[in-house]
Amino acid sequence: MLLPAVLAVGIFAIIPLIGMFALSLTDFHLIKKWDQDIGFHNFVKLYNNKRFIASVEVMLLLSVFGVFFQVVMGTLIAVGLEKIIPRWRFMRGIFVVPFVVPAVAVALIWLSLLTPTLSPINDFFELFNITVPPFLTTQYGAITAIVIADTWASYPFVMLLILAALQGISSDLDEAAALDGATKIQIFFKITLPLLIPALLMVALFRFIETLKHFPLIYIMTKGGPGRSTQATNYFAYIQTFQNSNVSYGAAIAVFLFLFAAIISFFVARANARINDA
Amino acid sequence: MPRQDRNPRRLLGILMMLLFFGFALLPIAWALILSFRPASHLFEPIWQSPTMLTLENFRSLLRSDFPHALLNSLVTAGTSTVLAMLIGVPGGFALAKGRSQKRFIASWALLLLRMAPPVGFVIPLFLIYLNIGLLDTWLGLIAAYMVLTLPLVVWSSWTSLAQIPDELIEASLLDGASLFQSLVKVVIPAARPGLIATGVLAFLIAWNDFFFALIITRGNTVTAPVSVMNFVSYASVDWGSIALASVVLTLPTLPVIIFANKYIVQSMGGAVKG
Repeated sequence: MLLPAVLAVGIFAIIPLIGMFALSLTDFHLIKKWDQDIGFHNFVKLYNNKRFIASVEVMLLLSVFGVFFQVVMGTLIAVGLEKIIPRWRFMRGIFVVPFVVPAVAVALIWLSLLTPTLSPINDFFELFNITVPPFLTTQYGAITAIVIADTWASYPFVMLLILAALQGISSDLDEAAALDGATKIQIFFKITLPLLIPALLMVALFRFIETLKHFPLIYIMTKGGPGRSTQATNYFAYIQTFQNSNVSYGAAIAVFLFLFAAIISFFVARANARINDA
Repeated sequence: MPRQDRNPRRLLGILMMLLFFGFALLPIAWALILSFRPASHLFEPIWQSPTMLTLENFRSLLRSDFPHALLNSLVTAGTSTVLAMLIGVPGGFALAKGRSQKRFIASWALLLLRMAPPVGFVIPLFLIYLNIGLLDTWLGLIAAYMVLTLPLVVWSSWTSLAQIPDELIEASLLDGASLFQSLVKVVIPAARPGLIATGVLAFLIAWNDFFFALIITRGNTVTAPVSVMNFVSYASVDWGSIALASVVLTLPTLPVIIFANKYIVQSMGGAVKG
């Protein structure tokens, strides 16, 4: 019964992937139609390309800050739901809402919130004569804007997984510590948090991979700009392939991203196997 | 613990939750307000003319190709979900209950397929489609969405079906059912909630796609998320229609919230058992 699935994965997923690897070893250009095997020359070119290196830096910047804020916020909300307002169960559903908003809508909503002439945020602060710094027209502002939008859309994922992990932690430990006179804050940092670490690592890895694939947020909110300041690697591959017609060069960038994902997913799969065996 | 309830620390905690609540919901409230704002009052503060609301955005949305794009989204996301379930659930069953030693490789491969950069799939697909005429067709888009839905369905039905007790399957096999009959008549009904959640998530992922549709569709089969971009032009941005379209795009995904607490965890992470 595995056979249909294996065949289908082979047709729909593996064939394109082989195509990606094959293309990365040629110099295929959509308009000039060159098609020669040039071995690993594309990868040497990538290694020497300052724009590529800069795109990796932007990608890591977006990922590290995005994942950090998502994990912190998701965890705080999960712990809050569980310990501060445990009786308000319907709040769980409400906090999940941003998670189901499609990425395109996330990007457009935050684009509207960060467009100074339109945004109610700017209107509000102008009541107090405060000028909100422009987000989308400065380098770090644009990066911050994408991190904010991504945090808004993705903290519920962290929250859901941490809620599940919290429910697996026995309350006996908390109660024993409380009897010994530990405060709630002490209990959180000394007992709950250490027990959450495996779940936190897993969730961070998952989100890290997802943030490497940012596309709608960049495409809609910043177009990679201002300048090239939000041109993350995935977006850079898109530009090279579909705007500059450098198909093989784009494929080489995709191979780089693929290998990156392969390494991280290996660790996730191994951790997963260990948890399931235990 | 009634005394601790009046703790100022608890007040601080509630304040924190309130802040997060605002951060979570205000952008959605803003999108809803924007959907009903007339173009003439877009750029003035909302509290200056809070009652200036209109349905003109609905009319402009209906006049555009957005309804047709919604149909494209529905057909392609729906078909690829159904196909992925038909092919993927038996695969998940085999992985959950078979004696294969290749489970680690399978789980790594499935994870990798879900994590691999879409641009890596899209470049070869674009060239293949260009040559065999599948660009801008339902069939091409459905095939592309299988890349997204199939690994998710196999992975997620694997975790769902692993929880069905072996005895249930063995009993039906002893009654003379074939393995396939046992899957259809016994296992799938027993695992129905988890499998429904799997299907809903697969649909959600295809429905939300922007990147695949941007590259391999043109005028005819453009999907709703890509079609929204038509309201953005260099001359002007039709914010009201954009907001309304964003709200409409979100509506079919809302049922996911019902499954969220229990099943998203197992389907998305599958890893954190606590």
